[in-house]
Amino acid sequence: MLFNSLDFAVFLPVVFILYWFVVNKNLRNQNILVILASYVFYGWWDWRFLALILFSTVVDFTIGLKLKGEQDAFKRKAFLWISILVNLGFLGFFKYYNFFLDNFITAFSFFGMEIKPNTLSIILPVGISFYTFQTLSYTIDVYKRRLEPTEDFIAFSAFVCFFPQLVAGPIERATELLPQFYRKRSFNYSKAVDGMRQILWGLFKKLVIADNCAELADRIFNNSADLNGSTLLLGALFFTFQIYGDFSGYSDIAIGTSRLFGFHLKRNFAFPYFSRDVAEFWRRWHISLSTWFRDYLYIPLGGSRGGTWMKVRNTFIIFMVSGFWHGANWTFIVWGAINAIYFLPLLLTNKNRDNLGIMAQGRYFPTAKESLLMLKTFGLTVFAWIFFRAENIGHAFDYISGIFSDSLFKAPMFLDGERYQLTLILVLVFMLLEWKGREGEYAIAQLGQEWHRPMRWGFYSLILFAIGMFMPSNESPFIYFQF
Amino acid sequence: MRRFIKDIFMFIPFAGLVYLLATFLWGYGLPMEYKPNINYKIGSIGHMYSRLSEVGNYKDVDILFLGSSHAYRGFDTRIFSDHGYQTFNLGSSSQTPIQTKILLERYLDKLNPKMVIYEMYPETFMIDGVESTLDLIANDRIDKLTLGMVLKINNIKTYNTLLYALVHNALRLNEAFEEPIQKEGDIYIPGGFVEKEEGYDLPVEQYEKKKIILDEGQVAVFSDIVHELKTRNIEVILVYAPIPHSNYDRYLGNEYYDSIMKGYSAYYNFNGIEALTDSLNFYDSHHLNQNGVKLFNDKLLNVLDNR
Repeated sequence: MLFNSLDFAVFLPVVFILYWFVVNKNLRNQNILVILASYVFYGWWDWRFLALILFSTVVDFTIGLKLKGEQDAFKRKAFLWISILVNLGFLGFFKYYNFFLDNFITAFSFFGMEIKPNTLSIILPVGISFYTFQTLSYTIDVYKRRLEPTEDFIAFSAFVCFFPQLVAGPIERATELLPQFYRKRSFNYSKAVDGMRQILWGLFKKLVIADNCAELADRIFNNSADLNGSTLLLGALFFTFQIYGDFSGYSDIAIGTSRLFGFHLKRNFAFPYFSRDVAEFWRRWHISLSTWFRDYLYIPLGGSRGGTWMKVRNTFIIFMVSGFWHGANWTFIVWGAINAIYFLPLLLTNKNRDNLGIMAQGRYFPTAKESLLMLKTFGLTVFAWIFFRAENIGHAFDYISGIFSDSLFKAPMFLDGERYQLTLILVLVFMLLEWKGREGEYAIAQLGQEWHRPMRWGFYSLILFAIGMFMPSNESPFIYFQF
Repeated sequence: MRRFIKDIFMFIPFAGLVYLLATFLWGYGLPMEYKPNINYKIGSIGHMYSRLSEVGNYKDVDILFLGSSHAYRGFDTRIFSDHGYQTFNLGSSSQTPIQTKILLERYLDKLNPKMVIYEMYPETFMIDGVESTLDLIANDRIDKLTLGMVLKINNIKTYNTLLYALVHNALRLNEAFEEPIQKEGDIYIPGGFVEKEEGYDLPVEQYEKKKIILDEGQVAVFSDIVHELKTRNIEVILVYAPIPHSNYDRYLGNEYYDSIMKGYSAYYNFNGIEALTDSLNFYDSHHLNQNGVKLFNDKLLNVLDNR
């Protein structure tokens, strides 16, 4: 079920009413309702893959219990590896089987050997990369004795399949989300209103910004060979805002929805395009994934404690694995590697933590230096996104060489001038609102809080109007569903 | 919780009112390119406004034509009149069965035809019907049937346009509107036909092949229409009006489509008329020019005479 569908507009209030008015007296029943709702939510897409979630849930719950009673280090490690192999095995099969097969074929054909493999037509289960990482975090934390394993299967199941963040995150840690399923939830007016506001903002980001940018970005990337440099640059910019609007919009809706049910999810985006360097960008972009890789991969590998070689190695590993997590294509791996190259100079010169605060905090405008740094970081990010969006490496290189050609200084080739103009205006208004609200959790978290109610409600109504007026008329899924 | 629920119930009408006002002001004051989800065009292409303005003057016709632009540009009411048939052409741009049903519910009793000739371009069974719904919202009255149609189409553009039209009509902003008989090369002929000033189709590029996949919802509504007409003892003739061969041949499954349509009623596919040539008898990739219309209508009249 998509957040931006009428189905969800009916589903959410129904579950909300059942949760707070029918099963509100009993925590266990509330958790059961969360599980049922989550399975309906997921099964709406394809019920067959519910078995995968259930299997993953049973395996990790059982291994958690086994780890609790086991003192033998070898056996504990064996249990941990079972969980890793099961979870990553599913992920590897559904997401990477054909990728590895294709690359083996290419490698063998390079040496003149022809093999006829059995390629499989595999459907990628929506959200598998997200819930796999979430359940893995549970087993690893229990193994490392950072978390007491749960004996409550209902609570654990609800933690694994919690519908607001099941298919595209934020990837929650068991240490933070699981205990929330043990505690009695009480309704909080301010949090619920804040949740509604964040859902509204998430829908605006997705339906107005991301979906409009997507139409133009797709058109430009799909016809890149015939377009001039300035148009290609615009295409890369449209994709830059598409992916931000799409993914951070999803996170906003997920976090807002969770608040309605009395849960707190971690922040996933913190205005990443207002970053002064790439390290800051990565502290602000897809925070739940970045910190997951930091805690479960980078630090176990030695982090930045060793010598220069180890820092270089670990940085490349974490960024390239992160890229590969996004999809089974070399473009994602190169995207990760580019970000590693951006990040390394900052790490090696100990400048990766120079910009920890909010850009131009307490001021309306940034300084000239801040503006230049922000522009530079944004430019680097846009460049890297080209690899993320391209069909293959060749396409990315062709696209980039198309940008850096003489035609960069020619007028863009607008296939549909008004549409481009309107989308650019929408993006500009959006970024102004983001800038204004950058000190809050999300752009409109604080905006208008001191206004009188009719004015504040008028503002929210106008956002609703903007959604209705500018959203493309065809429903489109979130980009991160494919990851 | 009570406060939250109360606020939600207060916010919904508040936001609805703001939305309605903003939709009207935005729709009224800004050019088309800045209002992508409002498409209110009274007097739009196809002279639907003129057609519906005069439909009330007709009753007890011999033949009622239904269908898309292939109908209102393909069945010349004058030719049929010369052969002694009193006809009315209720075709409209991209009319799908969903809109046909609404039009019949509104006008069938009055027109009371002996026969319905229903133009069957397969594309009208493959599309969502948004364009035709917008056409009806702007050019016909708005009532509960309109609301039902808009809900069935379920598209943000049709919702917004309906809201805009409600305010527009309430403020009587249409009262001074008069649609010119002749516009953009089209001449409206009383009885619903639209004649194109002479023109020829230029050689076209190869069309991309397209498989005929019928929308189940549209087929279900179509089935209801045919059933309703037959129940009223109205003879139903289904006609696939000629389109250029280059366009016709791009559809994969024409025979399958013919076989399905034959199952509903008497069905004639006129795309085999040898005398029609793409370059001489069509003015674009869909529509017959007046020479083509004469050839086609003569063939159709032959069929009717021989029945």
